[in-house]
Amino acid sequence: MKTVRSLLVLALLLIPCMALMPPVSAHRVYVAEQVTGVQVKAWYGGGDPMADADVEIYANTTNGEELYLKDKTDEKGIFQFEPKLGVSGYRVVVEATGHRAEETFNLMGGSGQEAAELPLFARVLAGFGYLVGLVGIAMLITARKMKRV
Amino acid sequence: MVHISDGVLDPWLWESGWVIIAVILAYTLSKMKTDDVPKLSVITAAVFVASLIHMQVGPTSVHFILNGFAGVMLGILAFPCIFVALVLQCFLFGHGGVTTIGINTVNMGVPALIAYLIFKTGTKLDIRPETKSKVTLFGAIAGGVGVVLALLLLATELITTGEAFYETTVLVVTAHLPIIAIEAIFTGVLAGFIATVKPEMFGEK
Repeated sequence: MKTVRSLLVLALLLIPCMALMPPVSAHRVYVAEQVTGVQVKAWYGGGDPMADADVEIYANTTNGEELYLKDKTDEKGIFQFEPKLGVSGYRVVVEATGHRAEETFNLMGGSGQEAAELPLFARVLAGFGYLVGLVGIAMLITARKMKRV
Repeated sequence: MVHISDGVLDPWLWESGWVIIAVILAYTLSKMKTDDVPKLSVITAAVFVASLIHMQVGPTSVHFILNGFAGVMLGILAFPCIFVALVLQCFLFGHGGVTTIGINTVNMGVPALIAYLIFKTGTKLDIRPETKSKVTLFGAIAGGVGVVLALLLLATELITTGEAFYETTVLVVTAHLPIIAIEAIFTGVLAGFIATVKPEMFGEK
């Protein structure tokens, strides 16, 4: 009987204590960040925008890749879309009269950096270098052919 | 505009492109002489770099092709010239795609051969300072036709991707009108100039 009474007192004491507790609910909580807009830009080599080009956005979900959106770029080659909640991996394909480029990116990690490219003059020079090499090979082959005849 | 990228065309189309160019390359290269090599390389360098000169026309961006010019200057050797230029453009400038080098070479190389045929028929390769005006005229026609035919081939291939032939043709030809005009004038004037100063450059081929 005594234990029951002391338990009762304890319980009665606990009730006002609960009022003093900070408002905490015992649910497990989750936080998910959401990027609400992604801007995609497409341009031709040299910097001219790819206007009015077909854009396809593929969402990289756990069930594999699926087509999420299909639209066109504006006159500045830009297309904006709202990502799917919970999907951060996307593949964008832009296509206009035989030109096509794709880009895979992840909203969480910054994997969308542009690959470093050689400056243009270096690429032109490289091309000339290859040509000089080809000239040498062509000279060699044709000279050998002439010798044989 | 005329460089088709990877993944646009059906495999059978770009695969047949490789087959076609293998045949034409084997034939044209077998006709190559040592004396042709320096000229071939200089024109190839020009074609290679020309594609960097671009301008914005309407919604698209166009650049020089110079395939008709290569046809006039090189004859059948224009084909290997364009092939080499496209390979370099693909790997160094990212123009077009690796799988489509074959079909792109067909698109630009076959019109180059036709441009040469026009130039050859028109001038009968009778190139002297006295025939300068005729050389200029047919050089210009060949230079322009080379680009137009390349665009028509492109539009034909894009039918397979579901693009309407007529619309695509109108779109690409209108966008390329300045290119066609400039290349025609450039090729004509240069052919006429060479007829005056170094007519033997055309030679028999």
